[in-house]
Amino acid sequence: MAEQIDVLVIGAGHNGLTAAAVLARGGFRVTVLEARDVLGGAAATEAVFPGYRVNTGAETASLLQDEVVRALFLKMYGLELRDSPVALFAPQPDGTALTLWQDVERSAAEIARLSARDAARYPAFAAEVQTMTGALQSMMLLAPPDLTALDPGALAGWGKVGWKVRRLGDREMMAFMRILPMPVRDYLDDWFESEPLKAALGADGVTGMMLGPRGGGTALQFLYQQLGGLNRYCTVAGGMGALSEALAAAARAAGADVRCRAPVARILVEEGRAVGVQLEGGAVIRARAVVSSADPRRTLFGLVGPTELEPRFMRRVRNILYRGSTAKAHFALSGLPHFAGQESAEQLGGRIRICPSLDYLERAYDDAKYGRISENLYLDATIPSLDDPSLAPPGYHLLSVTVRYTPYRLREGNWEEQREPLGDRVLATLARYAPGIEQLVVDRHVLTPLDYEQHYGLTEGSIFHGQMGLDQMLVMRPVPGWSRYRTPIANLYLCGAGAHPGGGVTGAPGYNAAREVARDLKASAR
Amino acid sequence: MAAHYDVIVIGGGHNGLVTAAYLARAGKKVLVLEKRHLVGGASVTEELYPGFKFTVFSYVVSLLRPDIVRELELPKHGLTILPLESTLTPLPDGRYLYRGADHWETLRNIATFSERDAGAYDDYSRSMYFMAKAVKYILGIRPPDPTSYRPRELWGLVEMARHFLALPEEQLWLLARLMTMSAADFVEQWFESEPLKATLSASGIIGTFLGPRSPGTAYVLLHHYMGEIDGAFRAWGFARGGTGGIAEAIARSAQAHGAEIRCDSPVAEVILKNGRAVGVALENGDTFHANVVASSLDPRLTFLKLLDPAQLPGELVESIRSFNTRGSSGKVNLALDALPELVAPPGPGRHLAGSISFSPSVDYLERAYDDAKYGDFSRQPYVDVIIPSVIDPGMAPPGKHVMSCFVQYAPYELREGTWEEKREAFGDAVVDALSTVMPNLKDIILHRQVLTPLDIEEMIGISQGNIFHGELSLSQLFFLRPAPGYADYRTPVPGYYQCGSGTHPGGGIMGAPGKLAALEILKDN
Repeated sequence: MAEQIDVLVIGAGHNGLTAAAVLARGGFRVTVLEARDVLGGAAATEAVFPGYRVNTGAETASLLQDEVVRALFLKMYGLELRDSPVALFAPQPDGTALTLWQDVERSAAEIARLSARDAARYPAFAAEVQTMTGALQSMMLLAPPDLTALDPGALAGWGKVGWKVRRLGDREMMAFMRILPMPVRDYLDDWFESEPLKAALGADGVTGMMLGPRGGGTALQFLYQQLGGLNRYCTVAGGMGALSEALAAAARAAGADVRCRAPVARILVEEGRAVGVQLEGGAVIRARAVVSSADPRRTLFGLVGPTELEPRFMRRVRNILYRGSTAKAHFALSGLPHFAGQESAEQLGGRIRICPSLDYLERAYDDAKYGRISENLYLDATIPSLDDPSLAPPGYHLLSVTVRYTPYRLREGNWEEQREPLGDRVLATLARYAPGIEQLVVDRHVLTPLDYEQHYGLTEGSIFHGQMGLDQMLVMRPVPGWSRYRTPIANLYLCGAGAHPGGGVTGAPGYNAAREVARDLKASAR
Repeated sequence: MAAHYDVIVIGGGHNGLVTAAYLARAGKKVLVLEKRHLVGGASVTEELYPGFKFTVFSYVVSLLRPDIVRELELPKHGLTILPLESTLTPLPDGRYLYRGADHWETLRNIATFSERDAGAYDDYSRSMYFMAKAVKYILGIRPPDPTSYRPRELWGLVEMARHFLALPEEQLWLLARLMTMSAADFVEQWFESEPLKATLSASGIIGTFLGPRSPGTAYVLLHHYMGEIDGAFRAWGFARGGTGGIAEAIARSAQAHGAEIRCDSPVAEVILKNGRAVGVALENGDTFHANVVASSLDPRLTFLKLLDPAQLPGELVESIRSFNTRGSSGKVNLALDALPELVAPPGPGRHLAGSISFSPSVDYLERAYDDAKYGDFSRQPYVDVIIPSVIDPGMAPPGKHVMSCFVQYAPYELREGTWEEKREAFGDAVVDALSTVMPNLKDIILHRQVLTPLDIEEMIGISQGNIFHGELSLSQLFFLRPAPGYADYRTPVPGYYQCGSGTHPGGGIMGAPGKLAALEILKDN
């Protein structure tokens, strides 16, 4: 007779681990099953080159929810967050550069070189962003209310959201509703005139999106990216993987069993209820609840299978827009690169953003729209070894580059043959702003959207487990009607970025899902 | 001393006329002031060349609210709507997609492109029918103010929530997606064949400066489905005598109840006394006085030109300045010596009595948008053609024809050069595109009128030539249209009201803003 398990968590990404830790601390017997041999999923640090520790997925923990850190005592389990004073360094084609700091005044001083008007408006902009993200933040740790059931619990949920938005004040509440569906370009045009500034800020709006800055809803993504604070750049000491290690440590300390190299082949469903999983080796593990941090399509089509699903629900899952368009290129460097317009190495401590204008970004999207890799890439580079020398051998540096747009579906060619040309193109683009950088490269590693699908389990390489467009947010995430972490299959839950509130290293979906699972388990025990 | 009126309506477009007609029926003494020599605004028919009558701007009708047609007795005042039953999508390679009155034929035609699409078509049509029914409610209400705690506003919100939450679950979710998706993504939930996807999603780009893959366009698609003629949703028609026939019928209905209409009377400003609107001054200096002034002009003109912005709350001025009125459409009106020949289907026939959509693929439309977003007109534009003289022979001399081509995209602001220099090149691009499916077109053109957004602005006044008086994007709809706190047809100036397409529920020959504004005016006066 096998051991009795309450909850099986599929996937040890940061959301799966968060859910596991919360449930284990709640007294449930939890087992986490991870396919790969490292923890963290897309929040992992791996040795892709000998001697280097590379963040193969996410780079920043700026959006990590304080409540998750506190509730799980992550600092006690080794989590160390580092706020960088510099958020963004944006070199320009003319040899100048714009640096944005976490400090509003300091940023305004930099902006003043471009436009006195914009510099004067920046503090008010920062204040508005703070108000708007405050309203967004109030929805992060709530299960979205059920729109169709008008029971008191659901109404209370809505009332809570409504009240939070209402409390913003009349003007701010209207602004909130007006801004969310806007293109980030229009939103920034309302505030600023300087193109380098608008481009440096606006690029955040297309994170994980197959949309350009003129796409509706990109203003919402821009705000989402500022949840931790406007122009905040926060990393994890030891790399993103250290966060996942801390989460796993918290889970294990509460009694959870976290297993790597345990790929799940399918979720076992009996009489419409999830009863456990079968591993690829054939072993069966049964549990009272199965909580999947894999994305909705992979969970429901890949692990459950369409025969268990009602066709209308299946259609909703099939219609989720994934549209991965992000790749990463990692470079081992024999020294620190020098960018045009750079005055000190300190400026390279945040993101180095190659996106000189919103039209540049729009044209990069145009290529992707027709199934091509952007001719002129939008790049976000970081040099994590600058702040944390343990990530590279002494004297060497690690350059991690997030690359957009690289559409999952290429109209011509395939990602196998495009991988190395993409690496060349990334380097050539960087060299335009950091002459001589090619000579520093000692090794490189490129991850394409296809790699993210095949090795990290992200459907279509979508870093957010489904694009975060307005049509796939809140009550419509992951699919309309099923935003409360449950699925039509009893005892099967979703706790990954495909669920509300979405992607990024927040911990929120895992945290929220765990609460719902615990509620149901307690109710069924009664 | 000039006569004193109860209400002065600025602008004799269809919305201004609807407001005037409702107020006149309620016994008010109404004066309509129109700057041009004829009423109608964008809803006019003009004989540009002897014998050739053009629906110069707006060219089809569907959105006109049935309650307005009934209450203003428009048929009695001369309105006849002729059905526009089919949509033809010809392709340069000689294939074509014809969707007409015969349902089974339509399905067979779709099946020649995709069996799957033919199978999905009924489900799509039914879904859109339910969506149109679901939002019909919205067209008849004044948007409640969600920031207000007044019982009336709160009740309005509750009523609205009740209406939508009473929808079957599938419909509610579909509606939520319609409000937020791109038109192309929305139709791709059903279809795979390019001509069908493109022609359907083209309804989502009309009047907007967005491509079919831009989120928000699915709502515009729905906006074009909300039309009802004689209770049949999604029916499009052509007014006998052109769209001018609609304006004239409304004008006659207003006049029959005593409204006075003056053409050639451009208004320069609204006259205020003690902060209250008391009349208007014309450009020639003439003044007219009234208890109430209602502007059917677009929000920019209504607030920033007719009033002194310095007297308005700063927030409102800021909102109106950032109200997106980017014009994106042009119009090419052709007088033809004969009927155009299509590559397919050949010869004359009923397909020429419907609309002809030049929209071969979603990528084609998207590329047309790409040109425009960088400040050029579309080198290969999307064109929606109708041939009014086939539907209503009175529009052209015997044997001759008029052709109305609605074109996107034509940005109001060009990055290089001026519209004066580029107008004819734009016209050529349209004729070239159409010639790929109408080989004889160039040989039969007798006259050509090319209208750019700048021309639309100059001729009928609409800011930046935006045919909806402001984009129908989620940020500019309902209680945000035209500005937060001013979606109730009122303004900060007592006695001054808005009644044009820049207010809820927006553009198209619908009349709803005009009617809803009239009802609010009557409530206050």
